[in-house]
Amino acid sequence: MRISKRILGVALGALLAGSVSASAETIKIGIIGPFSGPFALQGKNFQAGVEAYMALNGKSVKGNDIEVIYRDLPAANPAQSRALAQELVVKEKVQYLGGVYFTPDAMAITPLLAQANTPLVIFNAATSAIMNTSPLVVRTSFTTAQTTTPLGKVAVDEGVKKVITIVSDYGPGVDAENAFKKAFEAAGGQVVESIRMPMNTNDFSPIMQRVRDSGAAGLFAFLPSGPPTLGFAKAYNETGLKKAGIKFYAPGDLTQESDLPALGDAADGLKTSFHYAVSHDSPENKKFVEAATKAIGSAEQLSFPSVGAYDGMHVIYKMIEATGGKQDAQKAVDAVKGLSWTSPRGPVSIEPATRHITQNIYLREVAKGADGKSINKEIQTFPNQKDPGLATQ
Amino acid sequence: MSASTDRRWLRDVIGIALIIAAGLAGYWLFPDNLALLTRVIAAALLVLSIDLITGYCGVATLGQASLFGAGAYAAGIACVNGITEPVTLILIGAVAGSVAGLLMGTIMLRAHGLAQLVLSIAIVQLFHEAANKASAYTGGSDGLAGLMVSPLFGMFAFDLWGRTAYLFGLALLVLVFIILKFVVSSPFGMLCRGIKQDPIRIRAMGSFVFPVLLKMFVISGAVAGMGGALAAISTQVVGLDSVSFELSANALVMLVLGGLGSLYGALVGTVIFMGFEHFVSAINPFHWMTMVGALLIAVVLAAPGGLSGLLDRFSASGHRAKRGKA
Amino acid sequence: MQTVLSIAIDAFAYGMALFIICIGLSLTMGLMRVVNLAHGAFAMIAGYIASYAARDLGLGYAVAIFLAIIGTVIISIPIERLLYRRIYGSPELTQVLMTIGITFCVIGITNYFFGPTLKTIPLPGSLSQPIDVGFKTIAAHRLFVMACGLVVAGGLWFLIEKTDFGIKLRATVDNAAMADALGVRTQVVYAISFAIAIGLAALGGVVGAEFLPIEPYYALRYMVTFLVVVSVGGAGSIPGAVVACLLLGAVDTTGRYLMPEFGNFFFYAAVIAIVCVFPRGFFGRAQ
Repeated sequence: MRISKRILGVALGALLAGSVSASAETIKIGIIGPFSGPFALQGKNFQAGVEAYMALNGKSVKGNDIEVIYRDLPAANPAQSRALAQELVVKEKVQYLGGVYFTPDAMAITPLLAQANTPLVIFNAATSAIMNTSPLVVRTSFTTAQTTTPLGKVAVDEGVKKVITIVSDYGPGVDAENAFKKAFEAAGGQVVESIRMPMNTNDFSPIMQRVRDSGAAGLFAFLPSGPPTLGFAKAYNETGLKKAGIKFYAPGDLTQESDLPALGDAADGLKTSFHYAVSHDSPENKKFVEAATKAIGSAEQLSFPSVGAYDGMHVIYKMIEATGGKQDAQKAVDAVKGLSWTSPRGPVSIEPATRHITQNIYLREVAKGADGKSINKEIQTFPNQKDPGLATQ
Repeated sequence: MSASTDRRWLRDVIGIALIIAAGLAGYWLFPDNLALLTRVIAAALLVLSIDLITGYCGVATLGQASLFGAGAYAAGIACVNGITEPVTLILIGAVAGSVAGLLMGTIMLRAHGLAQLVLSIAIVQLFHEAANKASAYTGGSDGLAGLMVSPLFGMFAFDLWGRTAYLFGLALLVLVFIILKFVVSSPFGMLCRGIKQDPIRIRAMGSFVFPVLLKMFVISGAVAGMGGALAAISTQVVGLDSVSFELSANALVMLVLGGLGSLYGALVGTVIFMGFEHFVSAINPFHWMTMVGALLIAVVLAAPGGLSGLLDRFSASGHRAKRGKA
Repeated sequence: MQTVLSIAIDAFAYGMALFIICIGLSLTMGLMRVVNLAHGAFAMIAGYIASYAARDLGLGYAVAIFLAIIGTVIISIPIERLLYRRIYGSPELTQVLMTIGITFCVIGITNYFFGPTLKTIPLPGSLSQPIDVGFKTIAAHRLFVMACGLVVAGGLWFLIEKTDFGIKLRATVDNAAMADALGVRTQVVYAISFAIAIGLAALGGVVGAEFLPIEPYYALRYMVTFLVVVSVGGAGSIPGAVVACLLLGAVDTTGRYLMPEFGNFFFYAAVIAIVCVFPRGFFGRAQ
């Protein structure tokens, strides 16, 4: 796989070398992500985003050929993350690091950046605190607090005053719980109960029984995308909570597009807030979805990490443009501070102070699209949201 | 008698020299992969610790990462709170590991066979859950970050290239290996092997089984804890993966791959498994798992006793051939 | 009272789903003495077949279950011949190495051919609607799972305790050499019981898919749960497996209702307590 790509790169390089400039060199980008194991789907989306960007914007910047090297990190494992980053920097001589799905993996890489003189562009890892650990980190994904906060007001506006929160018991879950609680209470709502459930919960009916007993008018949920969301959405329907009119709010991890076919009718009407929906209506997104679908193989597998990777590549390309192919991490990061562009998800910019992406957050509802397949239909936009987690620090 | 003892001594000296040579060769041959090699060393300590209780005492465990993780978190928390001297951190890891080993042994030795295995799983899951819950101290699923380890002996910093971490780890591994060689060939080690073969007969001979095994658990905990501390020092982050069932299972697989009941087997298994995994996952990051699976199956078919068993078989057949001639 | 009843019924449904998936593993581990960590891999293969049959070919649910069981057993035959035959009677840890290897291969291959997305097995209308049982609404498929569990338990008990084959099987387990000498074709007995165990894994994978969704990592994700349940019950014992599944299902469900934050603590503390009191599992044989 990688070998063929390298051959392709060499061939392209040979073609370009004659036409552009003699001093052109190959710039390597190392991408670390979960390409196998339980999160393989998210890794595949990284790859799709990267390849879509290169297909649409060319495989060279200012005459410098770009070569991407993928490294697999199947689950959160800081030691392995550090070893991979070290190998990419020291052995493969990459000038840019990208990817990273889990927070601890990012935390293991950031202490190396200054010495490696390499910027890290995070395509996913969504904990606010990462940005404080090194000035050479830029993030093009989202934070849980960022995507969750608008929901607080949405719930109150819909007349829901009492909510029970249910989150998976781990870092992002706790972040989501806090962010929602803060926003919801600020808008005048009341969180009647907060439940943290173990990560490996398979049967959610007892949790739904708790919701029923709590007397809340709505529930806020956070689960990492993947298999458990299926059981959760089904349990919400089957225990009759939906019929009883208890409203459902969650960040979009719960209804990521690649899970929607499996969720089926169980997901209909679920309201989630997120930074990107594959169905987003814009010419940029149309182009992106077409290219990314081609890269990933089937439209069903496309999900939010792809857009983080796509914009991450945009940032890296801009960095290369600014440094002219010379390895200068600080200059590269400085060049993209304040950078704004139209992403497939809508207008975005890199906030100079935090190096985190400022973007629109959309309220969406799961509905049937034109072709009868479920989509996240955007119904309301909250423009230019920063990360509240970083803003408060 | 004395001749055979001499020969065993000679063999061990050569073996240890070979380990040092291989370690230094790794340093010269793969100067760009030292972080990986350091990871291998930390894992090797974990696998050695399993070998002590599984290979020498016959107590199978799928929960050894609880001891490794105890060492890692103890060293990590100590480091965040200002104790940054690396050798001290390793010792802290060893102490935490042996305390966890004491606890784990006390619980696990109540059962036998399959039930024992399940107890080990339950213990590692409880440790994992506890580390997740105590996020104020451990960082929970976000990991315990910000370990600023001071330079070794005040001179050699733990940096990007990882030379210090690797050589420090290698020295630690060799030291532990030498000590363990003494432990397993001591009367105590012999007693453990006896218990593995027939606990009833050992009891009939007048020895108490439980305290002997518990002692081995404590030693094993210290070794695993040092591995955890080494991982924490070299990575500067401690994640929940260091107390996971997955790590325990992987380590047991490495041990069985290399061969139970031989300290060399533990090292061989770790190096082969992690090296192979790294190699195939770099070639194809998306579908390497099939290759690792195929390797495991192939080893069972070709060398049911593990890779070191294969070596023994060769050398044994060599001996037999010689004896045949004589 | 209403809450207690409703928790009880949830616990019963979850316990029965666990039972159907795990009983096959209990048979391989208890009767054939093989620690088959690839058990979940076979359940997953069945899930993929059923999903393909029901979703892509549009066949009925019952037909999909049937095809899944037959298909998985057929796939397992060459694996049994080529790989499992070599590890009957091997040390447990060698078996672990082999079956983990098989699991890795199955995961890798599934991921390659079917992609990493979740696969569902569409339920027929009659099973997918919620049913009002007076004190709560419950999904019809949960009732179906409970019924399946009871039928499987009863059927297996009958097969092992009351039929000719059962007698031969028990004889082979107790003393294979003696059974062989008395004219029992032990190889055939082993092959048939392996097929039955795989068939049960397949049934469990399909019927339990509403609890444990089908995706490539299924085979490893639930391995611990299966192993724990089987050992607590006592490998090879049907009543033991029933009791263990119901009890652990109850602990899990009530724990998650009463104190979800400490759900895992409850579960594993219960496991430790049970194992300490019954070191061979509830109905395990002395070995």
